[in-house]
Amino acid sequence: MSRGDVLAIVLAAACVGLLYAHLWQPAVTATHVELRVGGKPSGRYALADSRDVAVEGRLGTSVLRIEDGRVRFLRSPCRNQVCVHSGWLHRGGDAAACLPNRVSVGLVGGDALDGVAH
Amino acid sequence: MRITPSPEDRLVAGYAALAIVIHVLEAGFPSPIPGVKPGLANVVTLIVLLRHSLRLAIWVALLRVLVGSLLVGSFMAPGFWLSTAGAAASLLLLTLGSVWNRAVPVLRLGAPGLSVLAALAHMGGQFALAYTVFVPHPGLLRLLPPLMTAALAFGLATGFAAAAILRQLPPVAAGRP
Repeated sequence: MSRGDVLAIVLAAACVGLLYAHLWQPAVTATHVELRVGGKPSGRYALADSRDVAVEGRLGTSVLRIEDGRVRFLRSPCRNQVCVHSGWLHRGGDAAACLPNRVSVGLVGGDALDGVAH
Repeated sequence: MRITPSPEDRLVAGYAALAIVIHVLEAGFPSPIPGVKPGLANVVTLIVLLRHSLRLAIWVALLRVLVGSLLVGSFMAPGFWLSTAGAAASLLLLTLGSVWNRAVPVLRLGAPGLSVLAALAHMGGQFALAYTVFVPHPGLLRLLPPLMTAALAFGLATGFAAAAILRQLPPVAAGRP
């Protein structure tokens, strides 16, 4: 192996290391639920407020439950219930969808801060 | 009309045939993660590049992707385009590598160095196409580091395999392509 090879391999390994540093940052803390029906945004709810949200989709009404900073599909009029079985979502970027009813939810972070300590 | 193949054509055909056999055999093995495979056929590309020329290596690689996909049945399927994007990116890198070797002979790249860089370029090209065209979801980016790690490991393995084979091969006879 020549010196050029060693240089190339070290550089390549460093690039891969940089990728980990850049792309594997801790998940953003979610603050809001973003609701979509048929691909169009149809509402945004704060995760801090516990409540049930009823959404009219193509087949009927899907019910979402927001509780303790988490969200889940409670009921949906679809046959296979994949959305309900997705369970609770709580990390930023998490998402669940009821494809038959065209309803999807995604969690988004509020601002750049993960938290504030006093 | 009669086409007379030149000795160079025969050489490309022979190497491409070898690469295609490896490509098809490898396609038969199940892969633990989609998009990750050793890419052993690239050993042939590297050998052609280092023993003959960049031009012949490009021919062998492109023929391998085309015929390999026809035999495996993925021609024109998403996998074929990913494969083509990867091959294009890695060939571009091998071209740059050849230019580098001519410009900076002190830090000449051999099979291991070229292989690792080409493997990363291959994965990068493939990923860029997947991300921009097939699945433009930010979650896909989280897959990039482990995929690149796999490319690094397989690139090293392929490079050392090519270097070992090159040591065993007799030198190219003078006056032949």
